[in-house]
Amino acid sequence: MKEFIINTDEIANLISSLPADKWDILAPAKDGKSFDYVLSSDKPIINSEAPPSKISFKEYFFPKSETLFYYKREANEISLTEPKFAEKKLLVLAAKPCDAASLPILSKVFNWDYKDEFFNKRVNNSVIIGLSCAYSDESCFCTSVGLDRNNTKGSDIFLTPFNDKQYVLSVVSDKGDSFVKEFLPNLTEFTGTKETKEFIDNKPFDYKKTKDWIAANFENKIWAETGEVCIGCAQCAFVCPTCHCFDIVDENCDLNCGRRIKNWDACQFGVFTKHASGHNPRNSQEKRYRQRVSHKFDYYYEKFGEVLCTGCGRCTRGCPAGIDIGEIVFSISNQ
Amino acid sequence: MPDLIEIAKGLLESKEVSFIIGYTKDRFGRVKPYIAKSVEDANNLMFDHHSIHNLAVYLTRLKIPENGRVGIVAKSCDIKAIIALIQENQIKREQVYIIGMNCSGVVTHSTDEWKKENIQIKCKYCADKAPMLYDAVAGTAEPFEQPDDTQEVLMQKLETMSSAERWDFWAKEFEKCIKCYACRQVCPMCYCEQCLAEKNQPQWITTSPTPAGNFSWNIIKAFHMAGRCVGCHECERACPMGIPLTLLTRKMGMVAGKEFNYRHGMAIDQPTLVGSYNFNDNEDFIK
Repeated sequence: MKEFIINTDEIANLISSLPADKWDILAPAKDGKSFDYVLSSDKPIINSEAPPSKISFKEYFFPKSETLFYYKREANEISLTEPKFAEKKLLVLAAKPCDAASLPILSKVFNWDYKDEFFNKRVNNSVIIGLSCAYSDESCFCTSVGLDRNNTKGSDIFLTPFNDKQYVLSVVSDKGDSFVKEFLPNLTEFTGTKETKEFIDNKPFDYKKTKDWIAANFENKIWAETGEVCIGCAQCAFVCPTCHCFDIVDENCDLNCGRRIKNWDACQFGVFTKHASGHNPRNSQEKRYRQRVSHKFDYYYEKFGEVLCTGCGRCTRGCPAGIDIGEIVFSISNQ
Repeated sequence: MPDLIEIAKGLLESKEVSFIIGYTKDRFGRVKPYIAKSVEDANNLMFDHHSIHNLAVYLTRLKIPENGRVGIVAKSCDIKAIIALIQENQIKREQVYIIGMNCSGVVTHSTDEWKKENIQIKCKYCADKAPMLYDAVAGTAEPFEQPDDTQEVLMQKLETMSSAERWDFWAKEFEKCIKCYACRQVCPMCYCEQCLAEKNQPQWITTSPTPAGNFSWNIIKAFHMAGRCVGCHECERACPMGIPLTLLTRKMGMVAGKEFNYRHGMAIDQPTLVGSYNFNDNEDFIK
């Protein structure tokens, strides 16, 4: 892995030198009390100690609402038009390792059967600069799902704080390599040793054991106990970097035109599985909550060999009913 | 004064209630809603300034036996929601055993420290009021420093804006909406079995989280709260995107108070504002 030294001035120069007509820059910025990924903010915050943003950056790759095509009827002819796709590139600066890691996870779903051209285009058009994380609270559990504060999964380039106002820049992917060659050609190579301080030490989940337990305990009081407290909103799914369900709807502009749209959807909604007949196979919050945990730690693991979770803890931090997914999975894994 | 746990144990032991909706602490000491079903469970109940959740929402979310009774731990702001649900015929008075809590104000977020800046604005207007409808009272209210009503300042600012400026203000706020419906799900007054937002024959509300869809949802949700919101501020607390939803509901509550001298959730036998008619009702505001 090629490594360089970069200082804060050089990062500021990079931000100002990227041509604005070709590049958008997405970076954390402060919004009131909380952090958020903000597009082209004049005050990007590059700080390892910052807490995770209130919502992950997935909407820049998998938007909350996206037009698939427009339709129009003239006489008896129906014509379809493709939406204009912004060809602008996206630089994500100071992504948390738990956010960056979500892209390869989402990619598996969006390329497993049908290849989602919208998602793929956005990923191909992006460069992710991850930043080592020095934040942790009770909701975090990235170390339990195989990640850690210095994990480069999903990043093209990775920054690790070094001396005051300096970072070690590691080139992680070919895309990252091309980016550094093009926009940061004059960096000094780094040959020393990075200090890596581990301070979050959650117990790793036993994936296999957790998966087997979930598969064997379709009927268990744990689902009822959580389901009765869960109020059935989609806060958890929508702030999650890895949840990827969507609904497809048509919106008419008048009788003869409209568009087909892909919107975020979530398994915690009662209507998510409601059939046209009125029958609903997941007709209680207990069944819907079981689905959420089962998909993340059983079905996805079985299909793709990893869990559908990066341990960012957002779902827990924001749950209006105080449900802690970490507590549930730990209690399963520790049985 | 009897202790919360003692009261709960007595109720569960005598089977006077089938369960108690209350609060407990999780593995890190964070407060969360909890359903106590046995005398042993009652030991896990607690109440403090982190008991922010309005548990009245569970009275319509959970199955309450028609002729049975359930217990609920409630602050005076939550009790208003319980009264409102009784006024709106969603539950019967005899179905709930209200354990009213003497409250010392609650903080905005579950991990906030109990200090002036973090205490919810609604507490400023309720601070020293004891529970207004209850079957038992527990807890001790401690004096606390009243929060500043920063919302009032913002409301005054909105009042002075032109309608175009106000439109821009809300367009910017609603743009954030991701349609997670946490505001609806957490709201004790949102108990419809089928929400208007879920109806598609015809489609009343554009479901997409687009500017049109977000305006349509948030404004209609607010309209449905006219004269019905009890001011628990749970919608705003639950909103992951930080949309100041209670600016709308509070304003409507003020209009209901000013024009009709009405406040929801104050007395179980009072007819509701939208469910009653009075020849003397003021109509001046209809333009």
